[in-house]
Amino acid sequence: MMDRRRFLSVGAGSVVTATLGACNSFGPEGAKSLLRFAERKNEQLERWLFRNGSRNRVAVGSRLTGRAFPRYFISKEMPVWNAAERGVWRLEVGGAVRKPLSLTLDDLLRLRSVTQRVDHFCVEGWTARAEWTGVRVSELARLAGATSNANYVDFLSFDSDYHESWDIESALHPQTIVAYGMDARMLGPGHGAPARVHSPVKLGYKSTKYLTRVLFLPTRTGGYWSDRGYEWYAGV
Amino acid sequence: MTAGDPDSLGEAEPVSGNASPRRPPRPRHHWVVRVTHWVNVVALGLMITTGLRIFNAYPGFARRGETFCCYPFEGKPVPDWLTFGGWLAGGRNWHFAAMWLLFANGLVYLAFVYLHGEWRDLAPRRGDARDIWEMVKFYLFVRRDHPHQGKHNALQKIAYFTMPILGALAVVTGLAIWKPVQFAPLTAALGGYVWARYWHFLIMVGLVVLSVVHVVMVFAVDPYSLRSMITGGYDPAKSPEVRNARPFFWRRAVAASPQADGGAQ
Repeated sequence: MMDRRRFLSVGAGSVVTATLGACNSFGPEGAKSLLRFAERKNEQLERWLFRNGSRNRVAVGSRLTGRAFPRYFISKEMPVWNAAERGVWRLEVGGAVRKPLSLTLDDLLRLRSVTQRVDHFCVEGWTARAEWTGVRVSELARLAGATSNANYVDFLSFDSDYHESWDIESALHPQTIVAYGMDARMLGPGHGAPARVHSPVKLGYKSTKYLTRVLFLPTRTGGYWSDRGYEWYAGV
Repeated sequence: MTAGDPDSLGEAEPVSGNASPRRPPRPRHHWVVRVTHWVNVVALGLMITTGLRIFNAYPGFARRGETFCCYPFEGKPVPDWLTFGGWLAGGRNWHFAAMWLLFANGLVYLAFVYLHGEWRDLAPRRGDARDIWEMVKFYLFVRRDHPHQGKHNALQKIAYFTMPILGALAVVTGLAIWKPVQFAPLTAALGGYVWARYWHFLIMVGLVVLSVVHVVMVFAVDPYSLRSMITGGYDPAKSPEVRNARPFFWRRAVAASPQADGGAQ
């Protein structure tokens, strides 16, 4: 009889869950802690699966998305760096580093660069392709002398309060770059000029545009969408 | 049946139908099968509705700026009432939690049917194609009498055998679009991210079709089997074979067979 009892209790539990779930399309309030638990466990698994040697490879002759590449920002108007108001744009690299950097765009252009044709994976399910030129975050970490307690990196922007923090492994992946060029041109204001993060190892919303600061940190600092219900890790 | 077998005493008694009356009264479905079945209803229901919620964020398959050959409803979202999760992030959070329920439940079910021998009722055999054809002829009134069957008829067998295969393919294609960079070779083997996403979607459609047909057939052919998936109890005298049941065309079983409680002496 235990079998039957167990079956009935499990079945009843499922029915209750389904019924509560049907009350609104977001699901029962009580499930939130369970979903957060699942997200934490998934993150552990994803970090374990992550390989620095993994690569997003796009066939050399493949078509680029070009003008159809969506533009997106959270401010009411397209963020454009106003040099008259804010002075010359600089990328600050700081936090848990021995030698903080303050780089003008010219400084950034002089650093060792990479050009890569990769996929862009949006959380919505679409992909787009572009050829990005920029400096590896791992190169910035090396130049600034990121210390061993730098377990996270926060990428901050001048697009309102947009920022997203990353685990250090993904940030140091060879395909994670601070891009200033797109499709053999300088990055346009619709795509995060003067510089943005780009990487195929994270969903698009993790790749902060209109970049101002790269902070190496011992603790994680959330992010714009991560604080609004989207998963923080968002690894691809 | 040997002469010395005490059970063979029952042989002389008139038995309604041709169901074996001397089977010990064991449930038609083991409790593990029953529990995993209903957990699967919840898990699959969550995966499909939250998956559609995610799909609606970009209800198409084409890479941006390109076209996709093979999906006729590109850009058209599915109705909201088919979705669950409320918004994209909610749908994703539910999807990536419920996937573990589906996965673990599937593993328990497959391990059980393998170790406990139930797979024999489901695995395809020689002659199944002919049996399927006979069932189709029977359902279309071309054939008069219900083909002889074991636990399931040939159409059920192929459906219940296909279901876990589609489930496994849903997991594999799901991995390919969850981790298209970490599992790049898998995604490439499926034709790339765009195609892997499409396969994942088509497999979902296949699971929905099988599930809907299954539920309709339960009520249209063998509503008595619903009880067997809840309590495990099943009266062989009411089997579709005995009732010569076609979808929507069958007579109500008159009474339980005298031997339904297990062939008492």
